[in-house]
Amino acid sequence: MDKSEEAVVIQGWVKAFSDKLYSWALYKTSGQETAEDLVQDTFLAACQSFEKFEGRSDPQTWLFGILNNKIADHFRKVYRNPTSNKEENSENHFFKNFFDEGGDWLKKERPQAWKNEDAHLLDDTEFVKTLQACLKELPDNWYAAINLKFLEQKKGEIICQELEITPTNFWQILHRAKLQLRKCLQVHWFKK
Amino acid sequence: MKKILHFLMLSCKKATMLIEKKLLIKLSFKENVQLTLHKSMCDACTAYEKQSKKMDEILKQHIHDNPNSDAVQNEKLKDKITQSLNKI
Repeated sequence: MDKSEEAVVIQGWVKAFSDKLYSWALYKTSGQETAEDLVQDTFLAACQSFEKFEGRSDPQTWLFGILNNKIADHFRKVYRNPTSNKEENSENHFFKNFFDEGGDWLKKERPQAWKNEDAHLLDDTEFVKTLQACLKELPDNWYAAINLKFLEQKKGEIICQELEITPTNFWQILHRAKLQLRKCLQVHWFKK
Repeated sequence: MKKILHFLMLSCKKATMLIEKKLLIKLSFKENVQLTLHKSMCDACTAYEKQSKKMDEILKQHIHDNPNSDAVQNEKLKDKITQSLNKI
């Protein structure tokens, strides 16, 4: 294929797949501008590495693969340079919401067994809404950390290497994020 | 004896921290012993661990799911991309 034929193929992909890619990016990053940039970058990258595609059968899968890498890059950036205006309390202040001076659970925060925790929660659209609302409440870099942990099926050590941070930092942020998320789900879902 | 107890005792704050660490990377031998012992005496942290694992399971699936199956139309974006591709 010469360059002009390649261009025709890729223009066809833009028509066919950009809405789907955009919807996915928008859902993942909840920012219109960010999502548009990610999709545009995806097509530019596809164009540049077109020869790697040849011989593969499904352009949609290939493009989504590129987009997911771009999304992971995006979260790496957010993790390193959080722009969140949500107040991220100082560490001590944050833990005071959960533990007393000696590090024991505050009485009202002690986790108790969840009812219906074995149900297929994600099949319940109300639960998914609650979960999304709780995730949105988290500071940007905490949300980024959660995404980085689960977006790519990689080991913790490798995620940290890529971020060029010590694992300690990463799991301490995840610790705070999970405590906060657990509390939010407890209050807005499991207590109901 | 005091020394041994001090070595083994964890606060709940530290225990939940180790629970999260364990879900990401391996714990050291000492940390493993400390956590196991703490959980054997603490229902709240045992419940926390169970729920934390459940949350991981949910998050892992949720992050790969797309509940909005209807694609958002964005014609402007298509034009923008087409233009930028033509410049290459």
